[in-house]
Amino acid sequence: MISVQYKTITFDLDEGVGILHLNRPPSNVMTMDFFREFYEVITEIHLSLETKALVISGKGRHYSSGTDLQDLKKEILRQDTTRARYAKTETPEFINLNYQVFNRLEHSPIPVISSITGICLGSAFELALSSHFRFCSPEAVFGLPETTFNLIPGLGGIPKMKALTGMARTIELVLQGKTFSSEEALSYNLADKIIAKKLLLKQSILFARSISSGYRKEKHILYLKTFFKI
Amino acid sequence: MTRWEIKEHIGILTLDNPPGNYILEPEFVPLEQIKEWTTSAEIKGIMITGGGKHFSSGGDLSQLYEKIQKEVDLSDQMDRGKAVLDFLENLNIPVLAAIKGICFGGGLEIALASHIRVCSDSSLFALPESNYNLIPGLGGTVRLPERIGLPESLKLILGGDMISAEEALALKLVDYVVPGTDLLDFAFRFLLKITRERPLKVIQSVMQILKNSRLLPREEAMKEETRLFCELALEEARRKN
Repeated sequence: MISVQYKTITFDLDEGVGILHLNRPPSNVMTMDFFREFYEVITEIHLSLETKALVISGKGRHYSSGTDLQDLKKEILRQDTTRARYAKTETPEFINLNYQVFNRLEHSPIPVISSITGICLGSAFELALSSHFRFCSPEAVFGLPETTFNLIPGLGGIPKMKALTGMARTIELVLQGKTFSSEEALSYNLADKIIAKKLLLKQSILFARSISSGYRKEKHILYLKTFFKI
Repeated sequence: MTRWEIKEHIGILTLDNPPGNYILEPEFVPLEQIKEWTTSAEIKGIMITGGGKHFSSGGDLSQLYEKIQKEVDLSDQMDRGKAVLDFLENLNIPVLAAIKGICFGGGLEIALASHIRVCSDSSLFALPESNYNLIPGLGGTVRLPERIGLPESLKLILGGDMISAEEALALKLVDYVVPGTDLLDFAFRFLLKITRERPLKVIQSVMQILKNSRLLPREEAMKEETRLFCELALEEARRKN
């Protein structure tokens, strides 16, 4: 077992199954530091050819409460001043980064399972939606509350939700911005399985291990050639 | 044959040719007219319904044959009808069809162009055109498979059979079924619930992203999403500072 500790993330590799924990308890809020580190870790995972399946989870009681709004606003204003000085049309660097990391995760050559307990809101739910499987505990709470702050989900959450649950439900959940339960998530096709909290992570890892047998190194290398141009 | 009213920032478009609410012209409401009605900054959502007991029985065949005898340019008329439905589908505010009673042919095609479909428990749906050796002509053959898949679409289009509200729900042809007496109230409240507390710009951004995911290549759609997000975030950040 290999363990790596970052500022906002821990990563363990256990017989080919990677376990990534968002590690800023209690709510594992996603700061700019988190996004940068997450990008780094995912890149390393993809480059190493050691991880055949990945489980993403949150340390402590919750998956994550999503982006730190204060942090985000600071960054937006900072980048806005910088942008005013350079090219106005350019997308802020951090948004591009966040989008790329979720996009890369979705097109990952290895299966990604989000193992969700407690709160899973906003960007955190978008992260879960970028995963290929969503397993959750019975008391998990989901939602895209961005519109209640006059914002919108900006990391692919809307189109992904539409693909999973259809147009009407997506409009309802996004515009109303209210949270929903694991049972509702399951019935909306936004979660794949509900597992007792005590067993959730273990079962997610077992599932990851069972499907990692389908791992093909050649495909992974082909992916690296396409996405990383190496 | 259509009526327009505004209630609490929700525009209500009523197909008003009872009892059957037959659609006499493919362009059931003039495009310019619907544009003028719906693009006011005041409107945050649209409900389409039928006057009286039914949503709509669809096109009127005798009218259609009469047109052909008079050598009216049918293709042009169909294009105009389609332009109205495209306009509704592409609107950047939610369009909800509140369906009761009969929802056949062109009526169902109007419902299919809406973003959300709610119906009463006694509603009936059909695309009966093939029974008359015709086919749905207002985009139904394109939109229906997008909503419910090809096999079920073929059953409805070629079979020409009628299905119930319950069956429509199982096929995901409709999103909600409610008791008939609650329909208009439910539909109106649904629209209020998702729009009342939201600035128009937020509503428009969400609907634009959904539209982009249908019309744009993935990369472009993602870029547009980022652009829309940044616009709103920047506004909020400046406002809070």
